[in-house]
Amino acid sequence: MTEFMNFLILGLTRGSLYALIALGYTLVYGVLQLLNFAHSEVFMSGAFGSYLVIHAIVGTGAGTPGWQVPVIILIGIVTGALTAAAVAWALEQVAYKPLRRRGAPKLAFLISAIGASFFLSQLAGKLFNRLTSNSFPDFFNIDSVAFTIFGANVRVIQLVDVLAAILMMVMLDRLVSKTKLGRGIRAVSEDAPTAALMGINIDKTISRTFIIGGLLGGAAGFLFGLNFSFGNTMGFIPGVKAFAAAVLGGIGNIRGAMIGGMLLGVIENLIPTAPWVSTPWIGTKWTDVVAFVVLVLVLMFRPTGILGERIGRAA
Amino acid sequence: MTMTKPPADEATVTPSALRGRLSVTQKATLSRLGACLAGSVVLAVMIGDQEGSTTDYGYAVRQAFGGGRIFVFLGLGLLVFFGLTFSTRLVPYLTRPGITPLVSGVAAVAAGLFLMTWYDGAGVGDGKFGGVATAIANTPQASALTAAFFGWLAYAALVGILVIAAVAIVTGIRPIAWLGAALGVFVAVIAWQAHSDVVDIAGGIDHSLGYGAASIGYLVMAGACVMVATSKADVAATREFVNRVLGWRPGLVLVAIGVVLGVAAFAVARWFAPGNARYNTTFGDTSAVFDPAGLTSSALAYLDYLGWILFAVSAVLSLSGCYLRNRVLAWVGGVFGVAASIYTVFVMYKFSDLAAKLSPNDGGTWQNLGTGGWMAGAAFLLMGGGAVVAATSERRADASDAKHRNGESAVDGEQMPPSGTAVKTKSGLNTGFLSAPGASRSAVFLVIAFALFYPPTATSFWQKVLVTEIGIYVLLAIGLNVVVGWAGLLDLGFIAFYAIGSYTTAYFTGVLPIKPPHWLIMSPLLAIPFAVAVCLLAGVALGAPTLRLRGDYLAIVTLGFGEIIRIVANNADGITNGSRGTAVDPSRGVNNVPSPEIHVGPVNIVWGLNQLQYWYLLLVFLIVVLLAFRRLENSRIGRAWAAIREDEVAAQATGVNTYRIKLLAFAIGASTSGIAGVFFASQVGFFNPDNFVLNNSILVVAYVVFGGMGSLTGAMAGAALLTWLPEFLKDQVPGADRQMWIGAVVLLMMIFRPAGLLPARRRRAELDGLHDEDSSSVRAVPASGAM
Repeated sequence: MTEFMNFLILGLTRGSLYALIALGYTLVYGVLQLLNFAHSEVFMSGAFGSYLVIHAIVGTGAGTPGWQVPVIILIGIVTGALTAAAVAWALEQVAYKPLRRRGAPKLAFLISAIGASFFLSQLAGKLFNRLTSNSFPDFFNIDSVAFTIFGANVRVIQLVDVLAAILMMVMLDRLVSKTKLGRGIRAVSEDAPTAALMGINIDKTISRTFIIGGLLGGAAGFLFGLNFSFGNTMGFIPGVKAFAAAVLGGIGNIRGAMIGGMLLGVIENLIPTAPWVSTPWIGTKWTDVVAFVVLVLVLMFRPTGILGERIGRAA
Repeated sequence: MTMTKPPADEATVTPSALRGRLSVTQKATLSRLGACLAGSVVLAVMIGDQEGSTTDYGYAVRQAFGGGRIFVFLGLGLLVFFGLTFSTRLVPYLTRPGITPLVSGVAAVAAGLFLMTWYDGAGVGDGKFGGVATAIANTPQASALTAAFFGWLAYAALVGILVIAAVAIVTGIRPIAWLGAALGVFVAVIAWQAHSDVVDIAGGIDHSLGYGAASIGYLVMAGACVMVATSKADVAATREFVNRVLGWRPGLVLVAIGVVLGVAAFAVARWFAPGNARYNTTFGDTSAVFDPAGLTSSALAYLDYLGWILFAVSAVLSLSGCYLRNRVLAWVGGVFGVAASIYTVFVMYKFSDLAAKLSPNDGGTWQNLGTGGWMAGAAFLLMGGGAVVAATSERRADASDAKHRNGESAVDGEQMPPSGTAVKTKSGLNTGFLSAPGASRSAVFLVIAFALFYPPTATSFWQKVLVTEIGIYVLLAIGLNVVVGWAGLLDLGFIAFYAIGSYTTAYFTGVLPIKPPHWLIMSPLLAIPFAVAVCLLAGVALGAPTLRLRGDYLAIVTLGFGEIIRIVANNADGITNGSRGTAVDPSRGVNNVPSPEIHVGPVNIVWGLNQLQYWYLLLVFLIVVLLAFRRLENSRIGRAWAAIREDEVAAQATGVNTYRIKLLAFAIGASTSGIAGVFFASQVGFFNPDNFVLNNSILVVAYVVFGGMGSLTGAMAGAALLTWLPEFLKDQVPGADRQMWIGAVVLLMMIFRPAGLLPARRRRAELDGLHDEDSSSVRAVPASGAM
């Protein structure tokens, strides 16, 4: 049971981060019907941006007073989100907008995003370093335990991850369903030409959608870096998983992305380690395989994902 | 299809919007300024060696912004900004005759001076112009002219001709232009001479091409000056000019290249070069070396006199065949050229073999040759090819010639005033100069000559790149083009089939821990049918459940499949030997995959360590696959793929079994990568799951789309270019930065040419639309149907 809970907690932590990244994919997919391949680099830039600021504030982090820790984490989330939002905005301006103007084929967008992805990740490597495992300053004990459940320790940082993710997802949900900008985003993803006729500035809506996705992805980048480690190639695997999560929940569907992310995180950590399948063959090295097999199975039996695509999207 | 209102640019602002007009242009100017400055900052960061570290993250940023570099780049950015902003004032000058060749010439010279190597023997550092110049400066026996060329003349001439041409263009004073032309020719000759001086002094074998690029560049600049001096028109019509040159007498350009190459081969190039300076001989000296050694009389005759005669006869036949457009003469010239090419290779084999027997230390058969023989072979092939082009495209050429005579009789000199509408329709669906009669066939012959005769003259590094990077990825791109380009299915896990092909080969050659029955263990080439069959089955197995999914779902499922295959190969230790791959390990019965062999009757070929052998084997594979796929493209199946790609519902309604046809595309694409897998496995011998990472799948998709989706030549060109680029960049930028530059190149390509390098005609039609240009610019969101 302890083992089970340990992996469940790990799964939830990773899952909430996947969900945050997946929201970026799903938002862009909603308005452009495109796989934003460079979103993983948006995520990565969040980690570096928040690192630079935090490093400037706390130095190596030794002896940071306890009351400062929540503030620093908050600063990390905000700076990560802002950096990534800036990168996402620039990405849209450079890699997507010119192609939209030209009415390029869909694959051209994908390839330009792949180019941007290579470029960004290697530029970050050139600017900072190419190590895969940088870590944030030790401004608090990352292993400190919040509480214990069924013998499994829930670390503070995991709690922060999950709570911050849930909070941001709720805020996003409000934003999309209640505000004018949210209505605009929904209208563009339903039917862009009609939305334009209704007086919605499509260019602005698209670029704001990228910014929102970037904010979430950047926050996830900071949390991911704090919890695990970060580097210039950190975005790739979580990015692929998050896109899988978005598809799993039903792409273009915001709540679907949340559920898909959580589910994927839990499944990929639980199934390969569960006692009922514990043979020498199974172990954490099969984590990725399980994730993708589940994805393929879900798509085969429910091709539009768990919650389905948003109405008007299926075509 | 989703449409929205066009972006408000200046051209479409209606009078009613005049009030906002000023702010719109101001806004555009400001954002342009911002973009130019941001671009220069990014470039300043991209250049150079700087790299941060864990202890000092800010190091790279300080390096980029602290020195003077940032100001240089900001200045460049401002220049570009002013150029763009005042482009209306510059355009009248930029469209004058001679500008296009001048710019191309400058680009070629700059590439020669700054990017390419001038000597790749030892002792001059990286062998680029700067390195050779330093070495020459310390070498007293270099002639004064050589020293001057490497010291200052090369740069001075580049700037000088550029300034002279610019002055001539702006002022219109013709004698100045003639001066520039004379200077260009003079420097081109000096460049060539200076390089051969370097080779003579150093004495090694030289494979470098920098001097060629620089000489050609100076010549092109000279030609540009001639154009400036002679043209009477105000506006250049470069496209028409190129069309006319290529289309006027089909094949003539090819023959001309062949003649120049042949003269170089017979007059200056080294034919026999066993690595010892004393024995490096030009064509004229080679017979003297082999006469006493007892060379076969037919080969000796060639070296003595027959080579020259063959060259002269071939040149006369091909030139007259092309020029007179005499079909019979052209055919004779074609056959003669090809035969002479084969004879040349035969002679080279004869004396190379003899030399290898006499002194084995100087390199084995084929190893002790210089570049001359290969150049001569290419020259004969090009002359013959040009004649064949002339012979086969005579009818079309006549038609176009008649059109030229009727439509452009008023044109004098080389210029033609652009006739508004006519130019516009031409730029629509035509693929530029490639649409000139015979041009595409000429290109084919050029590529064949290059593929056959360039690799032997390349350094071993480039031979390796040609085989392990360019060749294999071209093959993979051709396979993926079926899936992505023709059927419009996005496959992000293509490398999985390549992996399956490689592991199948390893299995059937009996080098994996798990072995087939002993009577089934075979040589790699025999495993091809098995690998193809296994990949075909894998393609069907993946496609059958997933092909009913829509595009993006298919992408993510194939991506997952690719990862699953790789991880399984990594983890299934007992079957694939896990992450160790096919490293030699007797305790587990694992070995390297053996090299290919052929033993059929008297033919005994064993592939060893020489990359050239693999190159020609790969060429055979490529040609077979290419011939098959060319047939496929316009077959019933190929048309069905196009129909599905363009509108699946409509295709279904017209009776296409879309599911089966899509499955077929998957299976055919997969089986191609099976062939590539066999080749790869037997060529490298050792491989492991790291050879099949997801990144490679994505790269192959990028190659196909970069080259131009749906066009075989495009996919091949894209793969060749993007696999060549990182190896080329190796000499130019720090190795770790290569992917960054490639990403930038891909990004820029998609921004400025979203259809790819050489788009298929049908896809261009889809993209540009068959109607007016406006329809494409109003599409804010890409059409969801077209991939």
